[in-house]
Amino acid sequence: MNLLKIIEAFRTKTMKRIAYAMLILIIVIDFFIPRHEIHFIGDGIPGFWSLFGFVACILIILISKWIGRLGIMQDENYYNE
Amino acid sequence: MVLCRMKIIIMSEMFIHPSVFFILGGLFIPFLKGRIKKGYMIFVALLAFFAVFIMPYGTYGVYEFLEWQLTFGNVDKLSKVFAYIFTIMGVIGVIYSIQVDNDGELIAAFYYVGGAIGVTLAGDFLTLFLFWEIMAFSSVFLIWYRKSEFSVEVGFRYLLWHVTGGLILLAGIILQYNLSGDLTINHSPFHGWWPTDFQSLASFLIVIGFIVNAAVPPFGSWLPDAYPAATVTGAVFMSAFTTKTAVYALIRVCSGSEILIILGVIMAIYGVVYAVLENDVRRLLAYHIISQVGYMVAGVGLGTQMAINGVVAHAFCHILYKSLLFMGTGSVLYMTGTSKLTELGGLYKTMPRTMIYTIIGGLSISAFPLFSGFVSKSMTVAAFGQEHLMWPFLLLMLASAGTFLHTGLKVPYFIWFGKDRGIKAQEPPWNMELAMIIGSLFCIGLGVFYQPLYSLLPYPVHFHPYTLYHVSETLQLLLFTQLGFFFLIKKLWCENSISLDTDWLPRKSAKALMWFTNNPLSRIEYNIIGEIYEFIIEKPMMRVAYYFMKIDTIVVDGTINGIGRIVMLCSQKMQKVQSGQIQHYAMIMLTGVIILIIIGVVLP
Repeated sequence: MNLLKIIEAFRTKTMKRIAYAMLILIIVIDFFIPRHEIHFIGDGIPGFWSLFGFVACILIILISKWIGRLGIMQDENYYNE
Repeated sequence: MVLCRMKIIIMSEMFIHPSVFFILGGLFIPFLKGRIKKGYMIFVALLAFFAVFIMPYGTYGVYEFLEWQLTFGNVDKLSKVFAYIFTIMGVIGVIYSIQVDNDGELIAAFYYVGGAIGVTLAGDFLTLFLFWEIMAFSSVFLIWYRKSEFSVEVGFRYLLWHVTGGLILLAGIILQYNLSGDLTINHSPFHGWWPTDFQSLASFLIVIGFIVNAAVPPFGSWLPDAYPAATVTGAVFMSAFTTKTAVYALIRVCSGSEILIILGVIMAIYGVVYAVLENDVRRLLAYHIISQVGYMVAGVGLGTQMAINGVVAHAFCHILYKSLLFMGTGSVLYMTGTSKLTELGGLYKTMPRTMIYTIIGGLSISAFPLFSGFVSKSMTVAAFGQEHLMWPFLLLMLASAGTFLHTGLKVPYFIWFGKDRGIKAQEPPWNMELAMIIGSLFCIGLGVFYQPLYSLLPYPVHFHPYTLYHVSETLQLLLFTQLGFFFLIKKLWCENSISLDTDWLPRKSAKALMWFTNNPLSRIEYNIIGEIYEFIIEKPMMRVAYYFMKIDTIVVDGTINGIGRIVMLCSQKMQKVQSGQIQHYAMIMLTGVIILIIIGVVLP
């Protein structure tokens, strides 16, 4: 099936390299984008939202897992005992 | 000529309450079968949409009831846009569920949609409350009809939350009525942290009643409890209506209540945190409803024109992409029998089209450019930027990253890729797929052609989503979230676990209460209260009863026995007439007939 081939094509090493190249490209482009409405300091720094996104993602995963380990995560039969 | 006149009649503006189609139309479902039934259901849903389409602005359906004035049709820009999305969702949901055999489930869904539209068009609090309860009591059947071992208890928990919320709302309504003597729904926001006088207490109770349905923590745990337990199609309906009618009610009554900003931001983050821990896909999506509704609640709290526009647009888009996500994961549950990430994986080989629809939903909820969330969520968030409220702004941006992390990446990755578990599956039935295609088209369509949506919003829109900076900002945020996702993917493998939520307290204290009742309390009751009762009440009571018995045997029974004896005597006489032989009866009858003839014919 064609759809399957397209999906497979997205999973190759080449696509991965292209994806990394795009990440660098959007930071580079961000340097040249006009800024009309600066609401706070981060809006003025090129590439700020890249850093924000990356750090946010890492923080969400690590902090959530940490909170889960504090006792939030329980066995599936927790309420039935 | 006739055709032209018909066209004028149809296209002229008239008010027919759209709920009527769902509530009356639902009654006929059990009498129909097969294709006619399927066609009928879709037709009814389309009629309701059409009724909204021709609905003019104004006030309709005003009835006097006792001393109150009930208004069933209050149509303005705000209620109309919600009525639009509810009826659109009605059509999509009905298409998705026409293969369901259980008529009860379908009727429940119809009543539920009818209730949601009724709330939207209600002009007074009593009507609102009526439809509010119709929603609660019809949607619980969407849980019970799952018929699994846990459905009954989950359903009762769901009902308890909503009945409690409904009663708090009713208390607020009654207080409001006593203060103002008026039941009309009017804008009465709650300011501050705590009620200070009766007016603010009334607003406070109404806000609490609404936010129970909006699943605001600490009252929101019913949502991730109930939605994953609902039927495949039931969850699609539920994801769309309950929280969004609550958002509508909040906009109508409580916009500008500052406390909602804080609650909304907490909600947005809280949903994201729990989504990291969650193993059940549909529960993960349920936590993301809470997260997304958090944006709306925060926007309602801000209450500026731009924020309200953003909230309405977001509710509109949210219903479409969230139902799409529930349809996608529901199809996986329907075809494989499980919705746990620990049991799924590698489905891209067998259900690739479902994957594409789900990813479209995921990109929409993540506010990817060219998808519907981008034109709505960003307006809400930008409203905070414009007011220079930096903390809410940054925290909502953080939650956006979390949304993409889970719904856009984690869900598709672990269902369709991840570890191939060799599950044999195939694409769902044609109607489920058709509903997903329609949902996907809406998600992309609204992302590209957003002007029609903006023109439906309650206030004039001065917001342009596709500025270079805004696109760049969003792409950076989302794509680098993706980088973080693949960076920490090992941490994201799920475990077979549940996460304790705020319902821990009621559930555990209910258990403690039962233990207390069964052990110490029942012992005290039996040993102490029982003894006292026997000594003070039971023994004197027996004495009194004894005298009554005496009276009874002598006076009452004597009379009855006397009557009995007379009856006996009479019947002994009668017995002689009743020989029990058919020829005697025949003879008596014949005699009777002859006498009748004589009376009727001969005598005059």
